[in-house]
Amino acid sequence: MPGNKAVAYGVKLSRVEGISLFPITPQTTIVEYLADFIANGELEAEYIHAEGEHTAMGVAIGLSLAGVRTFTATNSQGLAYMHECVAQAPAYRTPLLMAIANRTLGWFWSIQPDYSDVMPELNLGWVIQFVESNQECLDTVIQLYKIAEDKRVMLPAMLCLDGFYLSYSNERVEIPDQGEVDDFLPPYEPEHSVDPTLRDFGPAAGLPPPLHTTYRRIYEEILHDAKAVIKEVDEEFGRRFGRSYGGLIEEYRCDDVDTLLVTMGSMTTAARRAIDRLQGEGRRIGLVKVKTLRPFPIEEFRALAERVDAIGVVDRMMLHGTGGGGLFADLKSALYSLEERPLLVDFIAGMGGDDISTMDFVEMGERVLKTAERGRVEREVEYVEHPYQPTARIIPLKEKRVIYPGSGGCTGCGASIIIRHVLDVLGPNTVIVDPPNCAGVNYASVVGVPWILANYAATAGYQTGFYRAYKLKGKADKVHVVSFAGDGGTVDIGLQALSGAAERGESIIWICYDNEAYMNTGIQRSGSTPLFARTTTTPAGKVWRGKGERPKNVPLIMAAHGIPYVATASIAFIPDLRRKVKRAAEITSAGKGLAYIHIQAPCPTGWYYPPEKTVEVARLAVLTGAWPLIEIEEGRVKINVKPKKLRPIKEYLRLQGRFRHLTDEQIEEIQRWVNESWESWLKLEEMGKLPWYK
Amino acid sequence: MSREEPPFGIKGLVLRGGPLGGGGVSGGMYVGDWKIFSPKIDYERCTKCWLCVTYCPEAALSKGERGPELDPRFCKGCGICGNECPVEAIEMVRE
Ligand SMILES: Cc1ncc(C[n+]2csc(CCOP(=O)(O)OP(=O)(O)O)c2C)c(N)n1
Ligand code: SF4
Ligand code: SF4
Repeated sequence: MPGNKAVAYGVKLSRVEGISLFPITPQTTIVEYLADFIANGELEAEYIHAEGEHTAMGVAIGLSLAGVRTFTATNSQGLAYMHECVAQAPAYRTPLLMAIANRTLGWFWSIQPDYSDVMPELNLGWVIQFVESNQECLDTVIQLYKIAEDKRVMLPAMLCLDGFYLSYSNERVEIPDQGEVDDFLPPYEPEHSVDPTLRDFGPAAGLPPPLHTTYRRIYEEILHDAKAVIKEVDEEFGRRFGRSYGGLIEEYRCDDVDTLLVTMGSMTTAARRAIDRLQGEGRRIGLVKVKTLRPFPIEEFRALAERVDAIGVVDRMMLHGTGGGGLFADLKSALYSLEERPLLVDFIAGMGGDDISTMDFVEMGERVLKTAERGRVEREVEYVEHPYQPTARIIPLKEKRVIYPGSGGCTGCGASIIIRHVLDVLGPNTVIVDPPNCAGVNYASVVGVPWILANYAATAGYQTGFYRAYKLKGKADKVHVVSFAGDGGTVDIGLQALSGAAERGESIIWICYDNEAYMNTGIQRSGSTPLFARTTTTPAGKVWRGKGERPKNVPLIMAAHGIPYVATASIAFIPDLRRKVKRAAEITSAGKGLAYIHIQAPCPTGWYYPPEKTVEVARLAVLTGAWPLIEIEEGRVKINVKPKKLRPIKEYLRLQGRFRHLTDEQIEEIQRWVNESWESWLKLEEMGKLPWYK
Repeated sequence: MSREEPPFGIKGLVLRGGPLGGGGVSGGMYVGDWKIFSPKIDYERCTKCWLCVTYCPEAALSKGERGPELDPRFCKGCGICGNECPVEAIEMVRE
């Protein structure tokens, strides 16, 4: 099974009671497997799909403080967005577990692994372990709960597994017996949980300044003492289950060697082969795998250092401005106080998922051996670089366009139709400011205008910056600053910044193409997913029957800001769509404030219908009332397409696989929801003008 | 990457349309080999309503003298054009 599934099994076997999440590749399948377990009644746990990672970590802390065994998972951009809450978890003594399917942190984006995402989180007081195999993923989950919940520790823990190399690759994994895991890991029953029915206190958030230094010392002592617990737990796990991982570090063929390579995570497997090969040639080099990065195994490395002449560190973590990598810096500072120190060299390798081959490790090993032979360090830090082969197949066209034919989008993608018409209407003086989503992945390199990737939650912030800059330069009426955000980026994680921009009256255009789920990460529910739709985080099983909640009415939320223009649109009504985009551009060019257009974007991949039906599905959404076409200009509500009689919702639902599991009662309930929403729009239209508009 | 000339004299700046290809320069992405079915256009039937051109997600169809002209290099074979054509002038046929 893949590493992510092994983690999910570990969580299930640990009888976790609370799970909070937000999708991000390559972590997401962990929480999808957990959703499946819950949907099918195999695991009983609260499952909270938050609207962003900052919230997800907040939820996890709340669960854990209230005394519940808690799990969450993320990586990269998501981990960075969480950071503030991550920093608080240790002081609140929340022994929750977070799995990190490592992925580089942008900087330059990639969905592939390196450790730049955990790097900023290393020194906050968490216990942090890395794993090499999928079996180790499962076993480490169970071990880490035991370590974290130990009274001598009571700290949150991170389990780092390399994205893709472990998260998605298949290996044989043995699933331990539930009864044996229960014996090893009893239920979590903290004596200090926040519970006003039991006790009248909770943990303090602040300390007077004179106590800060003291508490830093105390936490350092706790982390130091945690090392003994880590070793104990690993040994006990080994006795019970027959597998152990060294606790802090694992030595591989380190007897009678003069030199060492130090590795972390999945790269270790290739490094082992390199060591086998080098030792086969009689070379005296061994391997040390860092299992626990925090607390750092200082004593273990000092003991090793006494035995060897040179150590080479393989670093998938760059500390910019220090000239080297993170593991290197840790090791260097751990060994400095020794009287006799081995020579140290650092190899920066495998950044952004670049593969480190066995041959690379052989070469690194040879360099370390040479360093030992020479008795001095020639070059302290080496970069293991590989040539780049472009893969994009671009056909040069003679004429300049705002958008070129051909894209990376799925066959029959509705969002593709939208972006082509939007750019065609807006023309070349357009800056697209785009949160991460399908459109960015597929169109950023197919347009002839600047396409700026914004961090997810801050998109409207980036837009504000652009708009104000053009205003300063006297160009605000000439340049359209436009988002092309998905529903996740609009109604969930991006809503706060969007609301701020609306209230400040920034004259920007917000286009939301709504495919009614997080598609780019593989179809997870969003605040816009319709009632009862099946997604990977709202599966249909024995217990769950698709998403249990109605979607948010974001056009109305936007209108509540009193902005000049709000509209919905559909790809089945292109003239209407184009007119609305044009109107939005006129309004923002006149500096009147934010214009918001919400366009349904049927998605054959996520809605499970054949690709030729994209426009047909969109048309039925309008004709059944599932997607009313609305325009609110200066508070006046207008329904643009008003069929005499709405078609039954069934006609729309039955085309799509995401609704295939529906029972008759569920269909009736959806019909009720559609009718109610349609009635509300009719009433709003009758009012003439929304009362809060001037 | 390390060997490329720095644009605008700024070392390390990566611009789209630069060394990584795509965007910024003129070009469409070659996706023609994705398709299993390909649109076959019956120009006798075509009334030049241009709905197919309007809906094609890849801009693989353009307005021509006799009706829509297909650029097979950009067509993924989704079949939307065929599904939406009001006079059934587009048939999807196996490649
Ligand atoms: C802070 C942060 N969290 C998570 C992600 C991972 N991520 C990338 S795209 C995406 C889903 C996008 O969904 P949506 O906005 O609905 O657009 P779609 O892909 O469906 O078009 C997510 C969750 C991220 N890039 N940044
Ligand atoms: S997943 Fe859906 S929205 Fe994303 S590219 Fe594919 S069809 Fe388009
Ligand atoms: S099959 Fe799809 S991609 Fe090809 S021309 Fe028709 S609409 Fe365009």
